[in-house]
Amino acid sequence: MTETLRLSWHVVVRNWTVYKKDFFANISPTLADPSLIMVSLGLGLGSLIQDINGRTYLEFMAPGLVATTALFTSFFESSYGFYVRMTYESIFKAMLTTPVGASEVVIGEYMWNFIKGSLMAFGVTLVLCAFRLVPHYWVLPVATLLGGLISIPCAALGLLASSYIHNINQFQTVYSFLIAPMYFLSGVFFPIEPMPELFRWAIQISPFAHGVRLMQLLFWGELTLQTVLWHGGMLVAFGIALSYWSNIRIRKKLIA
Amino acid sequence: MKVIEARGVKKSFGSFHALQGVDLTVNAGECVGLLGPNGAGKSTFIGVVYGVTDRTEGTITTFGHDPRSSSREIKRRLGVVPQESALDEALTVVENMRLFGRFVTLPQAQVDKRIDELLVYMSLDHKKDAPIRTLSGGMKRRLAFVRALLAEPELLILDEPTTGLDPAVRHLLWQKVTDLKKKGKTILITTHYMHEAEVLCDRIVILNQGKIIDEGSPRNLIERHAPGYVAIYDSSHPSVSQLRERAPAHWAIYPQQSNLCIRAPTLSELVELQKSEATEPLLLRPSNLEDVYLKLTGEELTQND
Ligand SMILES: Nc1ncnc2c1ncn2[C@@H]1O[C@H](COP(=O)(O)OP(=O)(O)OP(=O)(O)O)[C@@H](O)[C@H]1O
Ligand SMILES: [Mg+2]
Repeated sequence: MTETLRLSWHVVVRNWTVYKKDFFANISPTLADPSLIMVSLGLGLGSLIQDINGRTYLEFMAPGLVATTALFTSFFESSYGFYVRMTYESIFKAMLTTPVGASEVVIGEYMWNFIKGSLMAFGVTLVLCAFRLVPHYWVLPVATLLGGLISIPCAALGLLASSYIHNINQFQTVYSFLIAPMYFLSGVFFPIEPMPELFRWAIQISPFAHGVRLMQLLFWGELTLQTVLWHGGMLVAFGIALSYWSNIRIRKKLIA
Repeated sequence: MKVIEARGVKKSFGSFHALQGVDLTVNAGECVGLLGPNGAGKSTFIGVVYGVTDRTEGTITTFGHDPRSSSREIKRRLGVVPQESALDEALTVVENMRLFGRFVTLPQAQVDKRIDELLVYMSLDHKKDAPIRTLSGGMKRRLAFVRALLAEPELLILDEPTTGLDPAVRHLLWQKVTDLKKKGKTILITTHYMHEAEVLCDRIVILNQGKIIDEGSPRNLIERHAPGYVAIYDSSHPSVSQLRERAPAHWAIYPQQSNLCIRAPTLSELVELQKSEATEPLLLRPSNLEDVYLKLTGEELTQND
């Protein structure tokens, strides 16, 4: 087991070695996009919107953006990023001649996504601090960790997509019919409570929606044991189920 | 001791049968050459040996372990030059090798020393900090060889290691392989260069359409399948048809592109024939592994066929 973790960690080191070469190019969209949304939707559109349960629209939207960064970071890393590593760059072909096996590759990719998702959530939360939208200093580390947690099921969706598609353009379809709906409908931009009951039920099958909710309750200081157990439990359950499934699928891709 | 022992190994990709029952043993300290046409199943077999390809049927052990269940134990002890070099294009030469050193679990200080030695040996030291994507094809091939040797493996698997190498570097690589043989390492190599196989291998295994069609030492294969000398004539030469007729029936006579090859058991018989017709062959040479290969894989058509 320790050997597995050690080998998986080297997969993280490999990804980090490549990532840091273009560090600023790599992190700029993750930090710039939420800032733009804050200004355009939060301040711009938000000025036309009444308070939501006593919160300004900016306050309402901010936590969802932290969750969103984890969604996009991990989905894109494990779809386009992973797929390119696997097919065009043949990175794993060389790795698999070493004691590294398919499972270590998959675990390593999850570790990498967790770390990247956490760091991006940390970065966005820092930006939100500048907007004075982070109520307590301890929100920062918890939001960071939560970002990592949200990354796991989202990375699983990317890896699963990587295992099913036949060429790289098909990620576009996965994005349009799965990721974009999750992004727009999981309660980042509007409160879910006033929506029809069917919608409220349906949205529970989005792991991302649970992450968004947890993040919102965290920022708004409304976490309770019950909400943590429910949304946290769902997030973890989705994470375990989807990553287990993706492990089986990716294994088949790596071992012919 | 048997390093690789395969019995009835089959591998199918959907309805296509890439390996159709391969029995192959590689003993410790042996250098075995796996030859065969494109698509014969050489790379597929190699994948089965260390578990990146999962066999459909049969049994195989490498270092006594089943690659399906214990590939990690196996991979700790082998080095591979895959057919596609599979280098990390985003990294530099030295970053690539260091990272690989981590995967094969070498201490950092030792890795750096090994990397330096091997890069010098393969004349790549001047490219140490160059990104992989700026290397020439042959340089990448050399680096893949360096990578395979990094952990001083007991078993070296070389899938067409010299493809794309210039003659000088090819000899350098042969020298290294010969040195490793002397140190008692076990080697499994595939190549399309028959001369290379003849120079390096103790034993040759010829694979065709997923089946082993023959095996033996290079000398033994030549003795059995294509003994003697070969004269190659230009088919368009007017007296070639007379040559054809005068040659005894048990000699091998077969076309090769626009040439005609005549193989006789002894040199003197061949010279005799030549004198009688006063036609100079383009080339007169002892038969070699290439003749065996072409005969066995069906590229050669003899007079009797
Ligand atoms: N992943 C795969 N899916 C489907 N077919 C495959 C796969 N890998 C190999 N094959 C097929 O199996 C056969 C054997 O391929 P293999 O790569 O082992 O040949 P080879 O002997 O190494 O040839 P070469 O000399 O060209 O390298 C080929 O017909 C190839 O098309
Ligand atoms: Mg091959």
